Amino acid sequence: MKNRWLKNVFGYVTVQLIGDGIERFVNRLIKDQVPLWNMKREDEHSITFQMSIQHIPFLKKAVRHHRLKIRFIEKKGLPFLYQKAKSYSGFFLSIFLAILLILLLSNMIWKIEIRGASPELQYKILKQLQGMGIRKGQLLLFVDDPQTIQRKITELNDEITWIGVKLKGTTYYFQVVEKERPEERELASPQHLIAKKEAVIVDYFIEKGQPVIKRNEYVKRGQILVSGVIGTEENKQSIAAEGKVWGKTWYKADVSVKLQSEWKVFTGERKTKKYLEFFHFKLPIWGVQPSHFDQSEIEQTKATIKFLKWTLPISFISETIYEVETVTKTYSYEEAKRLALQKARADLYHQLDEEITIESEKTLHEMKDNGTLKISILFEVIENIAKAQAIIQQN
Amino acid sequence: MGKKWMQTLKKWMTKRMDLPEDVLMDFPRITMVGPIHLYIENHKGLLTFTDEEFRVLLNQGQLLVKGKGFVIKTILPEELLLEGRIEQIFFIRD
Repeated sequence: MKNRWLKNVFGYVTVQLIGDGIERFVNRLIKDQVPLWNMKREDEHSITFQMSIQHIPFLKKAVRHHRLKIRFIEKKGLPFLYQKAKSYSGFFLSIFLAILLILLLSNMIWKIEIRGASPELQYKILKQLQGMGIRKGQLLLFVDDPQTIQRKITELNDEITWIGVKLKGTTYYFQVVEKERPEERELASPQHLIAKKEAVIVDYFIEKGQPVIKRNEYVKRGQILVSGVIGTEENKQSIAAEGKVWGKTWYKADVSVKLQSEWKVFTGERKTKKYLEFFHFKLPIWGVQPSHFDQSEIEQTKATIKFLKWTLPISFISETIYEVETVTKTYSYEEAKRLALQKARADLYHQLDEEITIESEKTLHEMKDNGTLKISILFEVIENIAKAQAIIQQN
Repeated sequence: MGKKWMQTLKKWMTKRMDLPEDVLMDFPRITMVGPIHLYIENHKGLLTFTDEEFRVLLNQGQLLVKGKGFVIKTILPEELLLEGRIEQIFFIRD
């Protein structure tokens, strides 16, 4: 056959002929333009061959004039396959429904676990989650991604230092770290107070211990300020020295400020696009037209579909494109200087993060170079320089 | 008488005009591939077909093929492909 695959498409049968005068019967079929193939002699009275099913009416017509029996041994090809499939349709349908059901159940939240929270906080978080739509039986497709949940929960609860949100399979895990309540101070072991850094003593306030310094005295780093050893020479006693020692310290800051600065501002214009991603091919389903923004920033969220524990290569992407504008601002020399000072002060507060007072600021050096103002400032700061040091007892 | 005269005319024409004989004379064209394939064009119908004997009607006489394990791969109104171990081929003229 020139086109072997065609016979599979249209379907063919294997026919067995039983009786006498088989050759004459075959000749009759050939005269009717019926192609036959794979003809084999089985025994003296029978023969088998194959023919396509569209020619079976000729076979039926021809058999009327001959004393022969016809048996169809084998049926092959698409029409028979189709018939077979039709009889199995209930089975296929149930498999399809089962897959659909598994798909649906794989993308549902089955469990929400909150760890590390006190019962009342746990209840509160659970209620908040419910308000956000995170509850048992909710489809994961309609729920924010873990980062967003984390941000929202942190914003809602002041008593939480940190919350870890993890989605594992169909379970949401929340690891909560609560802010510690101020605990009662334990009795400290015997200690001295020493200087954290070199300074000039301005003032001190000693709760316990024996001060060994005077006002306006210069101390070096590591020098003992308040001794934890009290009593007379004969009757020595070690206690935990406590108190605050205010000293004047010096910091030098180098700050540079650009006289002309650029930054990006959202204009409020935005456009939403939705895609269906299949492998790496993105099929746009919403907002097909390209955005006409000159400058833009894109925020993308991706919802994946899971099947049991596997992530399917199909995902739903929603993209928001925000229009962005570049704003340029030029500072005068005075403004830049003020800004630099502000920046230096903020840095200092951030760096020391304790109650400090800036006594004075002195500009040591200022220079304009390439549109940048460079300033060196010397700060005089009053801060607590006391640091505890344990007394190692030698007996 | 008339049939014989036609035959003579056709023979003369093929010789003179250099035309292929099988077309004009209504001869069968028989092609063999080693001893395993026999391809017959322009046959006039099956006479006998068993495992070891194959007899086909031609325009003038019959073709008898003897061998083993014969299978007719394809049979169409004009052409025929026989497969098997071919041992002997006879032309039987009537």
